[in-house]
Amino acid sequence: MFNLEKAISNWLKLFQKHRAFNHGSIREMELHLRDHIDDLISEGHSEKSAFKEAVREFGDIKPMAREEYWNLTLKSNLNAAMIKNYLKITFRNFRKHKSYAFVNIFGLTIGLAIVLLIGLFVSDELSFDTFHENKDNLYRVVENQYYAGQPVFPVAVTPTALSPSLPAEFPEIVKSTRVAMDADQFELGDSKIMEGGGIMVDEDFFEMFSFQMIDGSIPSFVENLNGLILTEELASKYFPSKNPIGELIRLNGEDHEVMGIMKNVPKNSHISFKYIKNFENYLASNPDRANNWGSNWLYTYVQLDPTAVLDTVNNKIIGQIKANNETSVTDIYLQPLTDIYLGEVDFTVETDRKGEMMYVQIFIIVALFILLISCINFMNLSTARSAKRAKEVGLRKTVGAARNQLVTQFLTESIIFTLIAVILAVVIVALLLPSFNQLTSKEFNLQMLVDPEFGIRLGIIVIVSALVTGLLAGSYPAAFLSSIQPILTLNAQNVTIKQGAGLRKLLVIVQFVISVVLIIGTLVVYKQLQFIQNVNLGYNKDHVIYTFVPNGQSTSFANEVRNQRGVRSVARSNRHPAYVLSSSAGFEWSGKDPNETLLFHYMGIDEYYVSTMELRIKEGRDFFHTDTSAVMINERALEMMGLEDPIGQTISAFGERTIVAVLENFNFKSIHSTIEPIIVFMIPEPSRVYIKYDPIEEENIAATLDGIWKEFFPNNESDFYFLDKDFNELYEAEQRTSKLSTYFAILAILISCLGLFGLVSYAIEQRTKEIGIRKVLGASVPKLFVLLTTDFTKLVMISLTVSLPIGWFSMNKWLDNYAYRVDLSIWIFVFAAAIALLIALVTVSYQSVRASIRNPVQALRSE
Amino acid sequence: MISKNLTAASTKPIILGILKQGNSYGYLIIKKIKELSGGKMEWSDGMLYPVLHRLEKEGSIKSKWVMEGDTRPRKYYEITASGKKVLAVEMEQWIQVNSVIERLWNPKTA
Repeated sequence: MFNLEKAISNWLKLFQKHRAFNHGSIREMELHLRDHIDDLISEGHSEKSAFKEAVREFGDIKPMAREEYWNLTLKSNLNAAMIKNYLKITFRNFRKHKSYAFVNIFGLTIGLAIVLLIGLFVSDELSFDTFHENKDNLYRVVENQYYAGQPVFPVAVTPTALSPSLPAEFPEIVKSTRVAMDADQFELGDSKIMEGGGIMVDEDFFEMFSFQMIDGSIPSFVENLNGLILTEELASKYFPSKNPIGELIRLNGEDHEVMGIMKNVPKNSHISFKYIKNFENYLASNPDRANNWGSNWLYTYVQLDPTAVLDTVNNKIIGQIKANNETSVTDIYLQPLTDIYLGEVDFTVETDRKGEMMYVQIFIIVALFILLISCINFMNLSTARSAKRAKEVGLRKTVGAARNQLVTQFLTESIIFTLIAVILAVVIVALLLPSFNQLTSKEFNLQMLVDPEFGIRLGIIVIVSALVTGLLAGSYPAAFLSSIQPILTLNAQNVTIKQGAGLRKLLVIVQFVISVVLIIGTLVVYKQLQFIQNVNLGYNKDHVIYTFVPNGQSTSFANEVRNQRGVRSVARSNRHPAYVLSSSAGFEWSGKDPNETLLFHYMGIDEYYVSTMELRIKEGRDFFHTDTSAVMINERALEMMGLEDPIGQTISAFGERTIVAVLENFNFKSIHSTIEPIIVFMIPEPSRVYIKYDPIEEENIAATLDGIWKEFFPNNESDFYFLDKDFNELYEAEQRTSKLSTYFAILAILISCLGLFGLVSYAIEQRTKEIGIRKVLGASVPKLFVLLTTDFTKLVMISLTVSLPIGWFSMNKWLDNYAYRVDLSIWIFVFAAAIALLIALVTVSYQSVRASIRNPVQALRSE
Repeated sequence: MISKNLTAASTKPIILGILKQGNSYGYLIIKKIKELSGGKMEWSDGMLYPVLHRLEKEGSIKSKWVMEGDTRPRKYYEITASGKKVLAVEMEQWIQVNSVIERLWNPKTA
């Protein structure tokens, strides 16, 4: 028996095989066929023959599909109209569901703002030294020193004689310059000011690097031994009202002529200076240094021929110092200029401007994490609300929307949301810039947005992040919503779309895993920082203020200070206690293995230093005022020297000396490094004066000292520094990371909770009726509360079991960077877990409580 | 019978011409074409739809679904202003072709 309906439906299935036909056009064909069949029947055909005839006249489907497919590729006015419609619907939805839109946009905004800030930070860090035109051919010569029983000792400074020898002996090296750090007393008229930030350089310096000259000439500077180049900063400081070129200024009592003005050194240069002197001038007054191969004190930079191969050059020059100095244990190699700032090797005597690749990497990862969290929010909220949108999708499909059009629609929507978020994020970034600068000690400003190069870079970051975020956040909702069967949404009343709930839960778990890991990270960084600051340094850095006293006058100055109120004791040394960088392998003692080269650090102090700084003597005695050839060694030095009974033994170090004490190990470099051997001498008139003061006198001490300074050195400006502040600067990177990671963790949790809040609100909205009925049937408020919160609490619990091991593992890895580190106590993890759980619970509770105490009548009436 | 190529070439002006006389839907348009050509134009009905959809995409016509009373819903097509311009151009071209052929084959009348 012929069944017309079945025949038609089978015929329609032929169309569904082709992607070219959408719901609308298939429906159109169906209606055509039915009209035709009706006509044929009314002409007297049977149902069967009418169907056959209509199908025959309708023709082959394949060529139609081909034609329709070509249509799909056509650009059309229709598309523009549809896009307009998408926009309209987006903004309508936006108005209709304000809180949803707010949660979505707010989350994305915070995520993007963080990405932008981190983008600024990272791109600045990566831009170091890239402004030099020759950057690809410039290298710094660095050393690896090898001592028995010690790991490789990397050093960034080199001997005086190295630089000129390199271009002379190796054709690949075309230019070379020394850069020696210097500080001078500037004397102009009556004022005498100590200026740091001087460098002494060779002629090639100006051709190798792209520091900009504003005025004056380099050839005249090079020819003039007493030439001087000032940066704008110093030029306007000393010659505010006239052109400094040709003017004389006394540096350490020697007249120098200003031959040039340079632009201030860019912030993103690892070499920094305020003025430049001629290295030849230094050699003229220290002729014996010219051929020195033993003392490492200045930086050597070289420029390679562009065709040279780095490895080949490195192989040739590796033994250059050994070839000129028999006793040397030093190999050299070239470090690319652009690798210096973020280089991983921890060189001794590194320049002040040094970044940490690790932090750059951490920040990039954190930014991506936070962006991911906010994208997940977007996905979850959009798909959760899909039930509401399902009718719209169903209708669109019925009237002919193809799947790819729906995908376009939802992606358009998410990109619009993202664009709004981007604009808001840029505003937030602009508002936060000052505090961000403070936090990162960078100098970003809004004018940089106008700067062509930087502005374009930022523009690219913004556009790329908007597109990536929009596509990432919109892809899943688009794919999900466009797959909805129209029949489901249009036929049945109140369909709930359960599909995707599993994935939503998974995404919530991912969010919380990330958040908890960030919380753990924050706590560990914070604890480690506390630990570093309070770790037993082996001396007491608190309540100590220090200054530098001009040559030979430290004894009388110290004696005067000692008599002041609030001063507990005064000591002197020639080194900063946290930066003892001078070292020598030239010390001898009886029983030393002549084949071994051992490196010792050394510093000079007076007889008050040990007691003032609270260094502990393990055996032996403190220095006496009358000591002239006494030395102390630390425990590590004793271990390396292998002496049985050290006290009273002699050691040959800048002359014959007697060991009078063994000091307990103390830290004289970064906490990152382990304790190294040190020898402590007593020297006459050390120039650094350390004043230990009574804490209650903290406010007056600087003024008191200033008064004495003026009596002693009326022509010199005074400069006093607090020792614990220096210490904080030494660990600035850690403090910065600690602060930033705290903010990041807070924001991550906030965004995650925002998403959770949205999801819970949605879930409860879906269950309004159920809650009403349960209440009517006698469910108590607490029971309902438990019912509503369990689901989400479970998710948080699952994420905890994943995140705690991840946190433990990654933080252990980070702590491996430190010689002294906190133990990862279980409480950190318990605390992090508790915080996450608590915050999630609070978020969920608000909505749950509201739903449970609501009058069931309202819930049931809502239709 | 009119050849396939010629049929295909004339589809556009014919559809636009029909729609210029009033809005219509797919099945009626086909019927009308068959009627006008006396069945001499060889059409498979289905091939009309890709042409309609293309014209719509090009903006020459626009469509809307109409449901009146208990009848089936129908997708009505309407010629747009730009469609009318397209039709005018097509007409001119067909007339030119026509006049060339006229002059060739009936030199006297030309």
